[in-house]
Amino acid sequence: MTVVDTPPPRLPVRQTQTPAEPGVSPAAGPGVSPMLHRLAAERATGVLLREHGTLYLSDGQVTHAESAETPGLDVLLATGGALDAESWREAIARAGARRQVGRFLVDSGRVAEGALELCHVAALFDAAYFVLGPSGAPARFRYGAAHWLGPVRPVPVAALERESLRRRELLHRIWPAPATDTAPLIRADRAAEPPVPSRQEAVLDQVNGVRTAADISLALGRPAFHTLVDLRRLAAAGIVTTAAPQSLRAPQAPGAAGPAAADAAPEPPPPHHDPVSALLTQPSADPDVALLRRLRDALEAL
Amino acid sequence: MANTETALKEALASIEGATGAALVDYTSGMALGTLGGSKSFDLNVAAAGNTDVVRAKLRTMEHLGLKGEIEDILITLSDAYHLIRLITGRGGNGLFLYLVLDSKRANLAMARHQLKKIEADLEV
Repeated sequence: MTVVDTPPPRLPVRQTQTPAEPGVSPAAGPGVSPMLHRLAAERATGVLLREHGTLYLSDGQVTHAESAETPGLDVLLATGGALDAESWREAIARAGARRQVGRFLVDSGRVAEGALELCHVAALFDAAYFVLGPSGAPARFRYGAAHWLGPVRPVPVAALERESLRRRELLHRIWPAPATDTAPLIRADRAAEPPVPSRQEAVLDQVNGVRTAADISLALGRPAFHTLVDLRRLAAAGIVTTAAPQSLRAPQAPGAAGPAAADAAPEPPPPHHDPVSALLTQPSADPDVALLRRLRDALEAL
Repeated sequence: MANTETALKEALASIEGATGAALVDYTSGMALGTLGGSKSFDLNVAAAGNTDVVRAKLRTMEHLGLKGEIEDILITLSDAYHLIRLITGRGGNGLFLYLVLDSKRANLAMARHQLKKIEADLEV
């Protein structure tokens, strides 16, 4: 049996030690982003660009967040049936230049104010979780920039940080291994699956050995963090696990390398996994091992 | 048609005996809005904790093979009612309204009825 460490959530500190631009001090204080703290304190307006996405600030409050890893507001609105893609495009065309798209959607009766606000705040916190996640690249801030959506319901920076940290802890509490957040996923053992709630069932149906959590979120039109939660629960139940790591290059035929092999930098051969043995050695592939790990975690938590 | 804040305000103002209300996302446990509560009763903590109540019930129904949907959940304390109403409308999938009532002043049947109306207002 493989002994598996259960690392605590990674701390949200930037890895780099060199300030990338004047005035930016890396990891100067506690919290998720010292730069964001400073911008909130000076009631800045503009856009904060980080490795995993952007935060729009107005008067020191967060008005909008975007990340490539999360579905946008238009997707969430479409999923709920509140707005179709055509109306969304029309609203951007008519009100985008004025930066009043949100206002226009409500005033023209296309979206109920409550539905817009709920989807907007869901998209904002969802994207911000990834934007404020650990980052290896320096952040930049462009003063004055505003998002074309216009204000919907601004969120204080402190509330956003608190929620992002709470979400990180929630994931860790459900299942402390973060592998399902990013890796391609497979179903562990269909025969032994217990029944799962319908929202998790929808996630499970998307698991095909190729898709990652982000792919599944986009396919279902759900907030990405919600998919992470569902996947960690499925992992904790031993139903979902990460797909076997695949070597990035196809193996070369023996003898085909020829003289070119001499030019290639010497490197250790990539570890070869055939899918079956890799599956068997994956710790969470075995429901009994998953159960034992949960027992151990529970006992340690006493 | 109402936004989150006005819906919660209406809940506290129109429902007799209501002392706190929250709109909660039950997957993340985040309160999208809270109103009322007190120093000794943190609605954000209550919101996060009650997601487990909702989830446990949904899971049990799944195990039992029940096809119905949860409309609301009532928890009766010695001096209070806690009422959870799941929201099913547009954009509201995966949310619930959480209402704390003083049991001495509240009319439970009326509170359930009004909560249903507030849900409808929020999502129309």
